[in-house]
Amino acid sequence: MINKYIIEYAINALLRQGYKSFFIVFVFTLLTFLLTSVFFITNSMKYELGSTADALPEIMIQDLKGGRHSDIDVSLVEKILALKGVSDAVARVWGYYYFENAGVYFSLVGVDTFEEQYSGTLSKIVSEFEASDTLSSSMIIGAGVRDIMTKSYYKEYFNFIKPDGSIKKVNIAGVFDTDTALESNDMIVMSKDNIREIFDMPQDKATDITVKVANPEEIATIVSKLELMFPTARVLSKDDIKISYENIFNYKSGIFLALFIISIFTFFIIIYDKASGLSSEEKKEIGILKALGWRIEDVLKEKFYESFILSLFSYFLGVFLALGFVYIFQAPLLRDIFIGYSDLKPSFELPFIFDLQTLALVFFLSVPVYIAATIIPSWKTATLEADEVIR
Amino acid sequence: MIKLKNVTKIYELNKENRITALKGIDLEFKEGELIILKGASGSGKSTVLSLIAALSKPTSGEVIVDEKKISKLPDNFASIYRRDNIGFIFQKYNLIPALSVRDNIMLPMIPLNPHAKDIQAKLDKVTEMFHISHKLDVDVKNLSGGEQQRVAIARANVNDPKIILADEPTANLDEKLSLHFIEILRELKSLNKTVIIATHDPLFFGLDFVDREIELHNGSITA
Repeated sequence: MINKYIIEYAINALLRQGYKSFFIVFVFTLLTFLLTSVFFITNSMKYELGSTADALPEIMIQDLKGGRHSDIDVSLVEKILALKGVSDAVARVWGYYYFENAGVYFSLVGVDTFEEQYSGTLSKIVSEFEASDTLSSSMIIGAGVRDIMTKSYYKEYFNFIKPDGSIKKVNIAGVFDTDTALESNDMIVMSKDNIREIFDMPQDKATDITVKVANPEEIATIVSKLELMFPTARVLSKDDIKISYENIFNYKSGIFLALFIISIFTFFIIIYDKASGLSSEEKKEIGILKALGWRIEDVLKEKFYESFILSLFSYFLGVFLALGFVYIFQAPLLRDIFIGYSDLKPSFELPFIFDLQTLALVFFLSVPVYIAATIIPSWKTATLEADEVIR
Repeated sequence: MIKLKNVTKIYELNKENRITALKGIDLEFKEGELIILKGASGSGKSTVLSLIAALSKPTSGEVIVDEKKISKLPDNFASIYRRDNIGFIFQKYNLIPALSVRDNIMLPMIPLNPHAKDIQAKLDKVTEMFHISHKLDVDVKNLSGGEQQRVAIARANVNDPKIILADEPTANLDEKLSLHFIEILRELKSLNKTVIIATHDPLFFGLDFVDREIELHNGSITA
């Protein structure tokens, strides 16, 4: 049967400790908050990256000159299509356009309505173009792009500045929303001709070529064939691109690790302080309780409740704050650490991903550790003779 | 009722430093007796109380209470024995300063997990008996020395123990409050409790209601 008086005593003890309890709650909450925030952001980013990776082409070929990315000849498409196992090859025209007023990059993606698109998102957008028949003079933009353009008073059209300094005016035909904001938020879709004009790219050139393979089991074989055919080009499979995405992401999370280590360090200072022994006042209190007839298990129960209440309260406070920080305020500062270069891109919403495993991981990394660190030194003191402790 | 048989107690401060507090003493206390243990500081008075309360174990010899060898009790049973049989009034009271009078007096009852009604009834009884009921919600740290001692006495009596042990109970009190404590002793004696007082305060010597005075010197009984 639960002894409510021991629980009351434990709560009273926490309140009596005042600043000490407050400090531990503060550090514990901060640790839980940081850990949980990171896991929440990680989960959201993984979801976004996973969705983005799914939309990637199966194989992508880039031309390299001296190891540097260069525009590729459109004529190669015919040679690639002649390969057995290749079901389609499309020359893509795209690039990053820097909008100086807002200090952000837009991803300009070129489409031709007669071509089959390599991703579902693009197919959907192109079908809208076909319906409005405005491809030659207009564009469809992502929600993030719309917000930035509106701030600069571009509501119906946008003026792109070409390399020679002249202006290319393109009308805004619509705004698209897709399931993954990371993929499409900074995207502008327009005709390939318009993009060539904006980037001053010749008609016989493209940014890269995407290749579709009929049988996914043959992707590695086709990649090898393409590498032999075009020894100076870079041939990337979907998996290669996924890995490079994940590498960037892991690198970014490594920066956060530094922050995390600092908070872990602080947490373990508290643990060390607790584990290295109790203060003379704490020892004396245990001695008094034992002298008054408390058993070792009564003392340990009280210490358990004390540490459990404190750590559980801090845990839930940290998780609650992290939920608000990540999903309501969109993780300012931390988000930038993860997204890295993308902070030059239009902002996007972190999707709400609630993962019980994450919460359980944070719980087991913190609460039991703290409880053990509190109970062990109390047990050491409680097993001594009461007379020795009081003296 | 209480017997100490050939009890020796040695405190080992470290490997080279040992203090012999009691040297093979024999003592016997009968139920309902009020006994004064007197002697200078370091004579072994407090150690006798500590052994009877099972707060420590003798180095050799036996402590027997109601035919039970309490010197052999495992720690948890020693706690239960103290809770059910002993009320200890410490020299420095050993109250928890940040707790209220009520919470301090309740401490020995907590492990029993009693009903709220029982707690209130026991609190009312001891706080009225020792004239501290008007201070129930005051933190102990804000009480005078005499009031703190009354709280300590109330706490020692809250579980209605058969044995009351008091270690230098007037060491921190002026003469007026010391005389008041002696009156409280008289009340405890009238309740047929066994009371053992360790003191070197001359106010306790020759009192009419005291059954015996035992003198200790360097861990041995001298009178």
